[in-house]
Amino acid sequence: MTTLTPFTMPKWGIEMAEGTIAEWMVAENAPFTRGTVLTLIETDKITNEVEAEKDGRFVRIIAEAGQSYPVGALLAVLSDGGEASAAEIDALVASFRPSESGFDPEASSTPSPPSAPPATSDAAATDIDPALASPTAIQEARRLGVDLAQVQGSGRNGRVFAQDVHQTAYPSPSVSLAGPFPATPPSSVLSTPVARRLAALNSVDLSSVAGSGARGKVKRDDVLAVLKQTGAEAPSPPAPDMSAAPAGDHAAHFDVVPMSSMRRTIARRLTEAKQQIPHFYVRRRVRADRLLALRGAIQGERPSVNDFLIRACALALMEVPALNIQVHDKEMHRFSGADIAVAVATDRGLVTPILFGADDLSLTDIHGRMASLAQRARTGKLRPEEFTGGSFSISNLGGFGVEQFDAIINPPQGAILAVGAARPEPVDDDGAIRIVPVLHLSLSCDHRAIDGADGGRFMAALAKLIEQPHLL
Amino acid sequence: MAIMNIREAIVATLHAEMERDPDILLLGEDVVGGNGTAGGPEAIGGIWGTSPGLWAKFGPERVIDTPISESAIIGAAAGAALSGKRPVAELMFADFVGVSLDQIWNQMAKFRYMFGGKARCPAVVRLVYGAGMQTAAQHSQSVYAMLTAMPGLKVVLPTTPADAKGLLTEALRGDDPVMFFEHKTLYGVKGEVPDGDHRQRFGEARVVREGGDATIVACGRMVNFSEKAADKLAVDGIGVDLLDLRTTSPLDEDAILESVEQTGRLIVVDESPPRCSLAADIAAMVTERAFTSLKAPPAMVTAPHSPVPFARSLERAWVPSPQKIEDAVRRVLAFPGRSGQ
Repeated sequence: MTTLTPFTMPKWGIEMAEGTIAEWMVAENAPFTRGTVLTLIETDKITNEVEAEKDGRFVRIIAEAGQSYPVGALLAVLSDGGEASAAEIDALVASFRPSESGFDPEASSTPSPPSAPPATSDAAATDIDPALASPTAIQEARRLGVDLAQVQGSGRNGRVFAQDVHQTAYPSPSVSLAGPFPATPPSSVLSTPVARRLAALNSVDLSSVAGSGARGKVKRDDVLAVLKQTGAEAPSPPAPDMSAAPAGDHAAHFDVVPMSSMRRTIARRLTEAKQQIPHFYVRRRVRADRLLALRGAIQGERPSVNDFLIRACALALMEVPALNIQVHDKEMHRFSGADIAVAVATDRGLVTPILFGADDLSLTDIHGRMASLAQRARTGKLRPEEFTGGSFSISNLGGFGVEQFDAIINPPQGAILAVGAARPEPVDDDGAIRIVPVLHLSLSCDHRAIDGADGGRFMAALAKLIEQPHLL
Repeated sequence: MAIMNIREAIVATLHAEMERDPDILLLGEDVVGGNGTAGGPEAIGGIWGTSPGLWAKFGPERVIDTPISESAIIGAAAGAALSGKRPVAELMFADFVGVSLDQIWNQMAKFRYMFGGKARCPAVVRLVYGAGMQTAAQHSQSVYAMLTAMPGLKVVLPTTPADAKGLLTEALRGDDPVMFFEHKTLYGVKGEVPDGDHRQRFGEARVVREGGDATIVACGRMVNFSEKAADKLAVDGIGVDLLDLRTTSPLDEDAILESVEQTGRLIVVDESPPRCSLAADIAAMVTERAFTSLKAPPAMVTAPHSPVPFARSLERAWVPSPQKIEDAVRRVLAFPGRSGQ
């Protein structure tokens, strides 16, 4: 007999609340063996593989790739091997209840309060079970004509006490402050928040109200007194009209796309970087004709221009160690090797895999490793250690024809180089004007740790390496 | 029915229950009763005189003198209870429960819960508590509120010899840890004790008086003081409902609410400082659940927020006295405004 079990969003670490299905690695109904990678799940920290704990197959895959699901949510229905009828699967899906994973008490389902006791509906009956209501409650129910069966008891096992009867018998107090919150312009009249709200809801001019509070502060009762005089005895605020369409009917003109966990992480980190790091920018034009010529002369598989730039940056960082740093609060971490992060655009957003020890790598090595990192970055398969760390980043938008741009530092790194396209521009070539391909480079530095002179030195070193590429 | 005092009722119950159930054992400081003294074992019967004759009858395997270490006493009791015994652990002064608090609130109180109901911890901890004997700040406190606040424990405070027998028997026959508080000034209180098997269920308050004008809720020695206040009030024609809680966990909320619904006035008496006290807890519960019945704000008669003083005059001023209880009842009855209701 086939055993069906729910396959749910795992919880990796105590603070994980949700995950995104990056990719399903097995197809519905395809048998798999223990250890097979079933799916890739992306959290706001890592992308990780989920392996099969035993042989089986998914008889139904419910979660869609690219979508986020809370921890414990049903992602698929797992069979221990055999096939299952649609009805069996439907039954499991229908009866599935996710285990509680959040921290918010509001999120958990509230157990329904104990139901009212099956009290007799005849309030006049003389023999009400004392286990159902206190003696005073029974007496008060009779006096007030309340049917005990209609009273929600607050005691143990729903036993009714006098207060429960009173709450049923007496209407709730009348003055209501409910309603859409009116915009209350700043007023010079000293008043309490409730008084302001009441006045706004009932169009009372606060400056015309005599305040009874300390230093003439207008209080709730003062506003109520004015309302009484003017005849608006029971201030009933206009009911909020929930059906009204929002102004301008924007809803028709855009789709709401929730940010993925990765997008949210990018958003948070870059906001922090731009707000907290004092960026300064050092820009420089560099002629690239000799580098392009050198590249063109290479036989076989050619490193990209970017690979050359990675190599150039690695050597420049060795020359100007002041830039080869991470900035941590009150400390700077100086690196001996050049660990360079390279921005890779993927369908899901920006990823920055790191080329560790780039100063020790040949152009061919850099080319090979970058190809592998970029490929895995695009498929979301980078290991966390492959995009954590680094002291320097390169972002290259030359492929889009961008002439020049400035980049935001990727903390805790100290600097980032923004690279534009190589465009033909006139340069001074030993007194002659020549038109050659020119790269526009812009270096963003963290001024907490790096000074302008350091940035200038780095750019000079980098320009020399690019303009005399045999040094690479 | 026999007339005996609370001390005698406890001794008699321990004898009877230890005879009935060979798994019951007693451990604590000096519980044998005179080891190392000129008179030898049994010379004294324990410093509170609550264990005479037990060592002679049940031997050193079941009546065990321990080092002066509350954590050892409670730890041994918790382990013995887990492995099938029914230990009675005596803390000579409840004040030192703090030394063994982890063993009580993280271990004893949690075993059944954390093992999904499969473990049981039938330990009875007897804690001698209370002010009035000039035992000073570290030997006079009433720490029942703190233990009442811990789910998983039952907290018992007998005030009569009959209840001492009934509640101790109930504790020794149940399967959960019970904190059994014995007020050091009440050991000599005499009363009738039912013969034979007598069990008093937990969570049932004792209705000491029914008077109808105001409800006094008390526990421990404060019950006796409230009776004295009630006697004085009765002279002026004021009748009070007096409830002896017997157990603060479970708490007989129904008895309190039923009485307050009829009297509309609540006075809670508690031999503890007022912050986070049993008095505050009960006053809040009644205010929330019987607001429409109240004719006056609940009154709390408590000790001041201070350690228990040593000096006789100061200690007497510290303890909630019959006079203070009487004054509080009169104050609540005189509360203006809603008495015609």
